[in-house]
Amino acid sequence: MSTVVVKRENLNSKWYLPGILKGMGFTFKVMLRNLSNKKKMPTLNYPEEVYEYGPRFKGNHILTVKKDGSLRCTACMLCATNCPADCITIVASEHTDPEVEKFPIHYEIDILRCVFCGFCEEACPVDAIRMGPEWQTAGINGASFSYDIKHLARRPTLDGGIVTRLDDKERHKEGI
Amino acid sequence: MPKITINGNEIEVKDGSTVIEAFKKSEQDIAHYCWHPALSIAGVCRLCMIEVEGNPKLQIACNTVVTEGMKVSNQSEKVKDTVRWGMDFHLINHPLDCPICDQAGECGLQEQYMKYGQHDSSMSQSKVKKSKVVDLGEKIVLDSERCILCSRCVRFTDEVTKTNELGIFNRGDHSEIGTFGDKKLENDYAMNTVDICPVGALTSKDFRFQQRVWYLKDVETTCPGCSTGCSVKVYYNNEGLFRVKPVEDASVNGYWMCDEGRPLYKFANHKSRIKTFMKIQNGTPMPVNFKDVELELSNIFSSSEKVAFVLTGQNTNEEYSGLNTFIKSANAKSDIYYWQNNVDSFDSFDGLLKRGDKNPNTKGLLKSFSSMKKLSELNNSAAETIVVFAPENIFVYPDYDQIIESLNASGKKIIFVGSQTTTQLFQMPEGSILVPAKTFFEKNGTFTNYNNTERKVKKGILLVRGAIDILEFVDLCEMKFEPDALIKQRKFNEMAKERHVL
Repeated sequence: MSTVVVKRENLNSKWYLPGILKGMGFTFKVMLRNLSNKKKMPTLNYPEEVYEYGPRFKGNHILTVKKDGSLRCTACMLCATNCPADCITIVASEHTDPEVEKFPIHYEIDILRCVFCGFCEEACPVDAIRMGPEWQTAGINGASFSYDIKHLARRPTLDGGIVTRLDDKERHKEGI
Repeated sequence: MPKITINGNEIEVKDGSTVIEAFKKSEQDIAHYCWHPALSIAGVCRLCMIEVEGNPKLQIACNTVVTEGMKVSNQSEKVKDTVRWGMDFHLINHPLDCPICDQAGECGLQEQYMKYGQHDSSMSQSKVKKSKVVDLGEKIVLDSERCILCSRCVRFTDEVTKTNELGIFNRGDHSEIGTFGDKKLENDYAMNTVDICPVGALTSKDFRFQQRVWYLKDVETTCPGCSTGCSVKVYYNNEGLFRVKPVEDASVNGYWMCDEGRPLYKFANHKSRIKTFMKIQNGTPMPVNFKDVELELSNIFSSSEKVAFVLTGQNTNEEYSGLNTFIKSANAKSDIYYWQNNVDSFDSFDGLLKRGDKNPNTKGLLKSFSSMKKLSELNNSAAETIVVFAPENIFVYPDYDQIIESLNASGKKIIFVGSQTTTQLFQMPEGSILVPAKTFFEKNGTFTNYNNTERKVKKGILLVRGAIDILEFVDLCEMKFEPDALIKQRKFNEMAKERHVL
């Protein structure tokens, strides 16, 4: 067995107490400041207090709706094709209204696979999928990580749905 | 044999061929919609523009006959500009339906727009609205807005089927295709109009919105629908098979196939299939391991027990010859019975492609087994076990349920090698065995068609894991059978041993 003797040159590094006192001093200073002025405290008590990002933050997906409340999505599958994580599943069906023609009867995002790259939003030709400011994806079981149409378009936080910029009826009026 | 120089390459073509045919022969790109090799020349899309040396104006390649020493090009700026403006004309009233259009991904308009166009529309007027989602009968949906009036479908019903259902109505930008009055587009070859439509104006109801085409892979094989044996492409992905389209084959089917062959992919799909080896125990089929079946089969064939085989014309030549050698070597006393469907209309022919013999390989069966008895004689047989190689395409066997019932009623032990589940299978006599069989899409081989031509059958994917063909069934009887998974495992172990990993 051998021993290594570390030589410390100056007094400051020879004694650990001054460093500890300095650090504790800083800690107590911040603690007293936070106690006296709670509003300026930079940390949040997370589950009770949640940070809100700006509206342009690219978090959880939203399926937009038309003015009449129906889904904007036409089930063209470009988002699913473009998705690098392969997390979007769409089943298309024929709509009774010939102006709508095709719509998704099943739209599912496996949020555990999603990498939040935003390619789906970019690929969408009709502004049907957006990424919104919500960012919490916690869940209690496997099923709560696969988002269906009900969650994506009509979850309570969306206040009845986000209306798309692009409405078919307006488009047809414009003659596009 | 005149010679023509296309973009600097000289080739020789047949007398009387058109410039566009010469382009196709020399495998050079030329834009076109209305021209189709099997239809008459319409010259309406004005996209196959070429510059002929010595002529001041551009010409259309589809309606220009090749003359000796002709020099043509479609690479000049003048041609490209003309095609670009031609494209623009086609797109004036074409709706932006690509996201919901089934043709997207294999659309002539999309491809040529990417090649020649890539510009915004120069029109300030709104697009003309026409009728959408028009029901043209059981099989086809028409979208008039998407139509570019190439008239291919009209010419098809006019020239190939000679049924004349379709026509172009109205004038100018109000022209649209349609049927006369309440007439529907429901002839036996109607679905070919969907294939030749260069845009998404005519779409198939069966395939509508099922899949985007870029998710599909295809395999070139032979249609198992009748003894004509048309060359077809079957489109599939991991979820199963989705559609069948004809492939050009001058010797057999030209460019077409009949509508009866189109839905045949359905019986190969997982839903209707027998998925595991099963044995009838106490009146219900119970899944069993293939090892148990192997033991039982080898016992039957090693004993002197008499066995009757029932065969249809729905298997490949390779399977028949393998079975033939096995029967000769193992159980010479066996009788072979021929299960023939729709006997009355067996030799009928509709003049185009469709034949009454709804089996792809009747010729091959008759060649492999020279002495076969009729199925009706099976009741007199002394055999204790009946091995049934059931047809996979049971839609063309109107007596299918009846025959299985009569086999059940005989009370003899049945070894049923088939792919389709029906309720009759569950009422088989005690001790009967169900063997999951491969369909045409899951094996390689050949069919012999009505003309004694060998038609290739190519494997796409295995849709039911554990399904076997007749050759594997023979291996099973000889106790040599090894499932794919085990073969892979064995090969892996051998390779690992070679490299001293295990």
